[in-house]
Parts: sequence; structure tokens; C-alpha cells
Amino acid sequence: MAQAPKEFSVVGKRITRIDAYERVTGQAHYTGDIQLPGMLYARVLRSTVPHAKIISIDVSKAEKLPGVRAIIHHGNAQIPWSSGGHTHQRFIFNNPVRYVGDPVAAVAATDRHIAEDALKLIEVKFEKLPHVLDANEALKPDAAKITPNGNLSVGKGSFSAPIEESWGDVEKGFKEADRVFEDTYITKHVNNAQLERRVSIAKWDAGKLTVYASTQGVSNARADIAKDFNLPLSRVRVVCKYMGGGFGNKNQAQDYDYMAAMLAKVAAQPVKLEFTREDDYIGMHGRWSSEQHYKIGVKKDGTITAVSLDAVTNMGAYRKQSGNLSGTDFYQIPNFRKHIKPVHTNTVVAANYRAPAYPQSVFGFASFLDQIAHEMEVNPVDMFMRNRIQKYKSRTPFTSNHLDECITEGSKRIGWSEKWHKPGALGGAKKHGIGMALGGYPFRPGLGAATIRVNPDGTAHVLVGVTDIGTGAKTTMAIIAAEALGIPLSQIQLTNGDTDVTPYSVGESGSRTTPFTGPAVIAAAEDVRRQIFNLAAAQLKVKPEELDLRDGEVFVRATPAQKLPLARVVARAGELIGRATTNPSFKDVEGKSFAAHFAEVEVDAWTGHVTITRYVAVHDSGTIINRLPAESQIKGGVTQGIGMAFSEELIIDRLTATPINPNYRDAKVPTHLESPEIEVVFIEHYDSFGPFGGKVVGEPPITPAVATIANAIFNATGKRFKELPITPDKIVRAVRV
Amino acid sequence: MEEEKKGTQLSRRSFLKGLGGGAIGTAVISTGLAKSDSADAYSAESVGASGGKTPITLKVNGKTYRVGVEHRSTLAEVLRDQLELTGTKIGCDRGECGACTVIINGSNMYSCSQLAVWMQGKDILTIEGLAKGEKLDPVQEAFIEHDGPQCGFCTSGQIMSGKALLLKNPKPTEAQVRRGLSGNLCRCGNYNREVAAVVAAAAKSR
Amino acid sequence: MKTFENIDAKSVKEAVALLQKFHQQKKSASVVGGGSEYLQLMKDHVVEPDYVINLKTIPGLDYIKEERGGVRIGALAKLADIEEHPVIREKLVILSDAAGVAASPQIRNAGTIAGNICQRPFCWYFRSSSFNCLRKGGQVCYTVTGDGRFHAILGGGPSYIVHPSDTAPALVALGAQIKTAGPAGEKTLPLEKFFVLPSVDYKRENILNPGEIVSEIYVPIPKPGSKGFYHKVRERLAWDHAIVAIATMVESAGGVVRDARVVMGGVAPIPWRGK
Repeated sequence: MAQAPKEFSVVGKRITRIDAYERVTGQAHYTGDIQLPGMLYARVLRSTVPHAKIISIDVSKAEKLPGVRAIIHHGNAQIPWSSGGHTHQRFIFNNPVRYVGDPVAAVAATDRHIAEDALKLIEVKFEKLPHVLDANEALKPDAAKITPNGNLSVGKGSFSAPIEESWGDVEKGFKEADRVFEDTYITKHVNNAQLERRVSIAKWDAGKLTVYASTQGVSNARADIAKDFNLPLSRVRVVCKYMGGGFGNKNQAQDYDYMAAMLAKVAAQPVKLEFTREDDYIGMHGRWSSEQHYKIGVKKDGTITAVSLDAVTNMGAYRKQSGNLSGTDFYQIPNFRKHIKPVHTNTVVAANYRAPAYPQSVFGFASFLDQIAHEMEVNPVDMFMRNRIQKYKSRTPFTSNHLDECITEGSKRIGWSEKWHKPGALGGAKKHGIGMALGGYPFRPGLGAATIRVNPDGTAHVLVGVTDIGTGAKTTMAIIAAEALGIPLSQIQLTNGDTDVTPYSVGESGSRTTPFTGPAVIAAAEDVRRQIFNLAAAQLKVKPEELDLRDGEVFVRATPAQKLPLARVVARAGELIGRATTNPSFKDVEGKSFAAHFAEVEVDAWTGHVTITRYVAVHDSGTIINRLPAESQIKGGVTQGIGMAFSEELIIDRLTATPINPNYRDAKVPTHLESPEIEVVFIEHYDSFGPFGGKVVGEPPITPAVATIANAIFNATGKRFKELPITPDKIVRAVRV
Repeated sequence: MEEEKKGTQLSRRSFLKGLGGGAIGTAVISTGLAKSDSADAYSAESVGASGGKTPITLKVNGKTYRVGVEHRSTLAEVLRDQLELTGTKIGCDRGECGACTVIINGSNMYSCSQLAVWMQGKDILTIEGLAKGEKLDPVQEAFIEHDGPQCGFCTSGQIMSGKALLLKNPKPTEAQVRRGLSGNLCRCGNYNREVAAVVAAAAKSR
Repeated sequence: MKTFENIDAKSVKEAVALLQKFHQQKKSASVVGGGSEYLQLMKDHVVEPDYVINLKTIPGLDYIKEERGGVRIGALAKLADIEEHPVIREKLVILSDAAGVAASPQIRNAGTIAGNICQRPFCWYFRSSSFNCLRKGGQVCYTVTGDGRFHAILGGGPSYIVHPSDTAPALVALGAQIKTAGPAGEKTLPLEKFFVLPSVDYKRENILNPGEIVSEIYVPIPKPGSKGFYHKVRERLAWDHAIVAIATMVESAGGVVRDARVVMGGVAPIPWRGK
């Protein structure tokens, strides 16, 4: 895939999204907009207790309600949900229920009001079991046991526990240090809170199941459904053309997809299952909370000699994802040890939310480094520059690494040397401060596929399994196709998100679409170009190797005047199909996108309110395939970081174990008025390991944002905040003391 | 329009744990929630008798529609499910996110927070009604140009709020645009772009 | 929402009569102004009326009129109209400011002054269908054992809600009067006396009895030389309730303060007059 860098025709420009028209006219059909003949509406009934055996479920009253067509529950629908839990078997309806919100039953009725009315008529008898809400409490030997094996969440592979990693010799490293510091940082559960509530439509046709899913990955969703319903892949179809955000919690298929499918089977009619916003907050998952204890050894000039991390991550009632903490990834650490305990509690499940293992641990580690810089009297910019990562795990080189440039450029733009002052040094009621942090995200290739059909008129269809969750992936793939094929973007039609039509894509998660599916698009383009050149060679009476295709014209490289319009070449063959499945891997090299963020804040000492007066985000993501959505991605990630830094957390009432703020206003999701003007700078160097030199863009921007803001607040007030969110009351209390 | 005035304020957050007066007495704290343990005292008769639909007339995007609705159906539901105008989205159904924003008699409102039966005689404008045939509204064009939609789910609502603002104030400042859109959430965090788009649309329209 | 019947009222008299009738029939009924807040209460099953009496169909109840030293505001005057009305902006500016920071633009376009004053608490236990709290007829105020970070620090007990209105503290600072209509006729009282502490009755926020509705707010125009402000401190700058809000009006002449009112919002179950 390594192509020599050259002047691109389409890549690297500012191109509006190819489906922007549909989105701004209301013509984009999201899952919830789809209506099928005879469609029923479904709702989910959830547990109101945190840990209990279900003794009985009586649906007789609900069944009699006119309009109710099907009711499923643990007693009559034991469908495993393999991707829902990796340490002990999770079903769509579980007995015992393990958190307030655990689904108990689902009802399908002729309209959604009746479905909701029916929920209230279902009588459930619970036998309560002891429960535990706090992660540290859950680790005690006498804690209520949530899984058969206890509360330390032990699974296989990336779901093992504890999560351990080490290199070098930390004890030796601490001895070599001039000073050793220890401290603890705490972060909270934050919901992805995407605007589109979960919804799924299922229908059966002669033994084939079609699910219109609001999913980030149609291919993975299909695999999940086929596995858990014991169906061949060829009898499952998953469709998602437009998706209203997920940020990691709509990947694969979820329990509500399965419930819709079961209800559709029982009722023999299509079923649309809809979540309320409250369902979405408690019935799915959010970012895992953490308690991170760091021990860091440094030399006099701030250089790190060793880092040890002991942490607990609260995964909630089921283990859906890793519970890892990777914020130390952006630093050169010669001796390293981490020991993380992912733990079960009887609370809302925690799993993937944009850069799952990063913002919370970047907050912990970068805040602590910033603190250490202060105590060692080293300027933070020097601290971060000195300790930035250079080799992966201290030994493997990166495909490209321009983190140093990110730091230099960002500090210049924010005016670091003019504006930086000793923390808390400035008096007054409005305190000014600046701060920074490092971030990024892994960039690795993997399995991808693409089909390109070139029409007899020279236009082309590109078929890829991607679901564009807002990243502009459809546009990115179209641009890559246009560039690789050599035809104008306007001649390309992109079809996505339908497993009956589009080939495999890993799905929009882990910032993987560009590195996984991008190379497949390029390879498919190369495949069809070969066919085109074989045909054209005969027409132009030259050898195929002598030909090139650009701007929709096939021409002889040495004598460009000898050319043919693409249509003329293809018309002879009818339709040409290019295809590719690619699965590259990196050997002896590691990939990462890098970032350095800088913020300037004004802290109101009276009200505790923080205004971000400037924000500069500098990113090393290789070639930027399309600048317009890439910049938007960065701004978006920062905005989510703002919410996590200042206000967002899931609050659970301790007495009843019930979430009390499962809605936008009480969860304090940032509004227009919380969002500053975010300046985005790309440090662009061609990375030969990525499609057209590009690395990843989607997840890096959220990773340093929380720490950047926290460090700016420290600089402004001289007070360190070690627990998120940094709400006004915490600031006021700290500053007034 | 200035956002906040400055002055002396109190620090609210030193929450007094003693809770002023201690008039709690010996209130017994129940250990469970009623619904989980006992049959709900919910009368089956009062439910599901919702079959009766009231015929109403709605004027949406200049067209007149006659539909039969339940009293408890919101305008958002009726627009989407019965009139099949699915451009208006429902994000929270609680009047907190703005995805359902439409323009009613010239003002932007949350359609999830209006009953359909209250909407007779009103002029309702939805996202589908902005374009004139093939010609997009300047706000829509600006949203395309300035990358207004990421996932696109809040986009209809943002555009309708932008449109409503420009109908009342054709030359807003950037701060006024932010304020005008402040009832619309965007979880993709595309706020900078949405504001830039409305500012640009205003500049073009004059 | 549970099924209900919507009735479009044509006059205040009709609305009152309907309320009275349903009360006598032991059916639950409620009036609705803008509807933004009331619909959410219904969706969360906090209230489940059999009848919803729509007041928006009463003509001429949304006036804002300057008359003889004061401004009369009809119960259905919208918050957005109050915020932008030239007389209110000029002579009752703290009311304009307060109306302007309520919720969000969409709510201000639909919400009425009476609705804003009569709105139910936004306590997360009160609004959640998972908690049958004291105010809703249950046994316990859950903020006592639970999370009361946004709840009353003054005047609370046995319920610790805070009154969520922005216009109410401003109106109390302005010395406003409120007129109600009911089966016994019309009543006018200082707005300050409209609200009810939980220690008096923890199931209600104001003195309205079944059959009574708000019909008008009257705000006397402050004497020349008066100054005031409304300032709201909150976590999010849009669509968020006050952590604390202050409404003040100071009347001075010749450098001497003659009267001062300081009213706090967001800290007590009623707009809290500083004494």
C-alpha cells in the first residue's frame, strides 16, 4: 500500500460531505424513520432493583390489553447475548438481574403508547439479593457476588483480569529517580449520550432475518446476530444507512436488536423497538469510571525513570469491554508496570466511549505529570516535551511520530512563553491560566473489503460496509476511491451499510475505518484499473503497463495526447468489477496518531465557573484525506472532553441503587454556550503505512482534552483537581480556603 | 445581547448537611420501590381505551393535512409517524435536546412538547418545508458548505432554530447566533460549525 | 403518557368551571399553559390527569400593558415576549433578564409567565418515575438519604426542593402582585405570599386550591432612581437551573437607600427574601 507521496487530485482538500444534502433536507433516513407495513412498536421493561432473582413474571394483564401482540421475557426468550458480557454468560433477559435497568421483558404492540401502557401491567416478583455499588467495596472478600466467580471481572484475552503489563524494572527505576511521587486520580462514568436514541427494526421473511439497526458496524452486528440466533450468515441481513451517533456504544448488535428480532418472530410482524432517553442512559453503557493510583519517579529535570499504575475500573454489572487505562501511552517510560482490576458492581454497564481507555487515564497521568512539573519547578511544556513517547514500549519505532512538532506548534500558537505564569500566581476574582496535555490513538491496519463497479458511462459505484456515524467515512471512502481510481469524485456513487450488498467492514469504531477499509478501496481500485488498462491497451495499441487513468481519461503516460475517455473503454465490456479483501499488518513497527492540546482559561473565583478563552488542538494524523470533516472531528472530540471535564457524571442514588440523572439536562451535556472556538492545526507528514499516507483522526481529539483543561485550571488557581468532574463547587471550595 | 451581568454572588454549593431545621423526624425509609414488589394499582380499563382518535387539521409547510390523533400524541410523533415527515427527529422527548425543533407561527419550539391537538390553526414549518423545490434555503446551503452535520441527527433542529432566528433578526452577531441555537444540543460537538453556518447564511441573505 | 382528554378552554370562567366540575366528580384535571413543562411531567408519570384543560385557546390572556404606574401581564404572556417587550426592558429590566435566562429559546417561545411561576420542582427524585417521594405522596424525601446537591439550603424540610423559576425571584424583588381566579371569584395578593414552604405543606408549591388558576401578574414600576439586577449562576449556560440566582431592586434617592429587596432563587423551596 505504500505509495510515494505525490500531488493528490482529491485527497487533502476541503470537500463537503457527499450526503450533506440529504442530512440538511431531512431526507436522510435514520433507523427510527423507517416504517414497514404492519410494523409493531416495542418497549423494554427494566429492573427496578439492583440485584435480585426473578421469582415470577405475570404478563396476563398486559397480554389482555388491546393492541398487545407479543411479550417476551426470561421465561420464554432465553437468547444469549455473547458480545454483551465476556466473563459470564449474558442473556438479553437475565435472572438474576444485576443492576437497576437490567431488562426484564419487552412488549410489542400496535402503537407505542399501548406498548408503554402494557409495561405498567407486567407484574414482576423479585427476591432481593445483596448488592454492591462501589468498586473498592466490590473487591472486598465479603462483598455481594455479582458473577459466579466473584467481582474481579475475569475473562479471556482482552477481557482478562487483572490487566497487567510491564517492561523494564520499576523498582530499579524508582531507585534511579531523584524524586518519587505518588497520588490518586478519580474519574466518573460518563454516558456517550449520542442524539439518536437506540432503535431497531426486525423482520423475518421466510426464515431470513433483516434488522434495520442503529449500529456502527453492520458486518459485526450480522455476525453477532447469526451466532446468537444460530443462523447462517447468509440468512441475516443488517442495514444501517444513516446513524445518529454512537461514539462506541452502538457497535455490533445489542440486546434490543435481539429483542426486536424475537418479538418479530413471535408476533409474525415487523417490530420497531425504541429506547427512551432514560433507557439509553441506563440500558446501554458509558465510559468506565476509574480510580488510578500512580507512582512516578523522575530525575531533577523531570525526566521519567519509572511509572507504576495500580487502578480499579468499574465495569458495572457485565463485562462488555476491556476496562483498560492507556493514558501512559504518550510518554517515554523506560520502566513500567500497570496492574488494573476491572470490577463488577451492580450498576450501569461501562464499555466503549470514544477512545475508551484514554481520556480518563490521560486526565490522571497528564495531571500528575503537570503536578510533578510544578513541584520540580519545570515548565510543563518542557516536562511534556522531555517525556513524550519516542519508541513504543521503549523499543518499537513508530510508523511516524511528530509529537514534538505538535508540542512546538501548539505552544507557539497559544503564546505559551508569553502567557505562562506560576500556578495561581495571578490574583483577582477572574483567574487566568494555560495548560496542556498530550494524546493520540493507536493506528493499526486490519481486515477490510471493497467492491467497485465501473459503469459503461465511466461513473462508478463504490460498495463498502461502513456506517458513517458522523465522521464523514462515506466521503472519505469516496475520496480514496476517486483518488485511487483516477476519476472525479462527482462520478462516484457510494453505497454503504447493507450486509446484503456491501462487503465486510470492521465498522466505525476504534478509528479503524480509514486504516482497515481504506486499503481495501485502494486495492479494489487497482484491481479494476488493471482490467481497464487491459481493455484500453488493445484500443490504444500499447502495453497495459504504459497506461494511466486520471480525471476519467485513460492515457499513455509517455504521450498523454494518446487517450480515451473511460466510458469508451468500459462500454466495450459492459461493466467492470474491481474487488479486494485486504488484511495488512504491521511488523516491527507500531502506529499511532499523536496530539498536543493547549487551553487558556478564565476561572471565576466567586462562582467557580470556568470559561475557555482559547483552545488549540494540534494533531499528527498523517495525510488528512479530507480537511473539512477532519477538523470537525477534532472540534467534536474536544467538546466531549469539555463535558467530561466540567460537568458530566452518572449519579446513582446510594439508597436505591437507581440512576437519578439519566437525561441530558441533569447529566449536564455541554451546550452551544459551553463550546469555545476551537482552533485545529494538522501537522501533516505522509505516513507510508496508511492509505495515501493517512493515520487516524476520530478518537485522538478527546484523549488530551480533559487533562488540558484540568491543567489550565491548575495554572489559573494553583489548585489541583484530582477528581472529575471539576464542578463549580469544587473550584470555589478549593480557591476560597 | 449581553449574557450575564456581574455583581455580588453567593457561593451556593456549601451544602449544609444538617439541612436547616432537622425536621426529618423518624421518617421510615422504605427499602424498596413499590413497583417492583407489588402489583401496580393501575386500572386496565383506563388504558388502551385510546382507540378513539380525534380528527384534526394541521397546516404543515403550507399544506393542509387531516389526521386522526390521540390527545396524548405529540406534534413530533404525528409529524413523523402519520404525516411521514421524518426530517424532524426525537432525541430526548423531554424538551431538552432540540432535535425536534420546528417553527410554529414564526417561532422555534420543541415539537415533542406540544400536543398535536393544540396545533390546529397554527402555521407549522419543518425542515422539509425550507427548500423551494430544488432551491435550498440559505441556512441549508451554509450547513453543507460549513460542514454543519456530523452524524446529522441534530441538524434539522439546528437549521430550524437558525432559520427562526434569522426570520426575527436577519443580521445577528455571532453571540446572538450562539444564543439563538442554545436550545439545540449537538453531541458530536459540531457547535463551531453550526454557528459559522448560520452567520454565513445571514451574510449571504442580505 | 396515560390517556387523557384535552379540552380547549375559551375563557377563564370556563376553565375554572371545568376544574371545579372535575374536582367534584373526583376526576383529576389540570390546566396547561405553554405545555413544555407539563408534558414532561405526564411523560414521567408524575402527574396523570384524566383531563387537560388547554388555556392557550383563551383569547387575550397574553397581554403586556403599561397602566397607571405598573405593568399588567396576562397569565399566558410568553417568556420570550416578556423578555423583549420594550416597556419591560426599559422599566422592569430585571424581569426581562430573568425571562431571558429561563431554559432555552424554544421553551421561552412556548412558556408562559403563569406556567413559569407555577412550575413543579425539577428535583431529580420528584421527576423520576422510579421514586415515589414525599411530595408525590410517598414516605420519604430522598434527598435526605441521597443526593441533594442541587436542593434547598434554606427553608427546606421535610421536603428539600428548590423553586426552579427565574421570573419568580425577579417578580418578588419588584414587589409584584398575582391575581388568581377561582370558584369564589378573583383574588389578588403579593406574589411573595403565593408560595408555600414544605414545612407548611410539602405536597404543593403554591396556594392555588383545586379550581383556581393564575390570571394576571401586576408589577408596579419602580420609583425613579431604582436599580437592580438578576444574576443566575449555573453549571451550563443554557437550559440549566440556578445553583443560585439573585434578584435585587434597590430604591435610592439623594444617595440614601430607601428600600432594598434581595431575593434568592435556586436555594429554597420558595423565592427567598433576604432579610
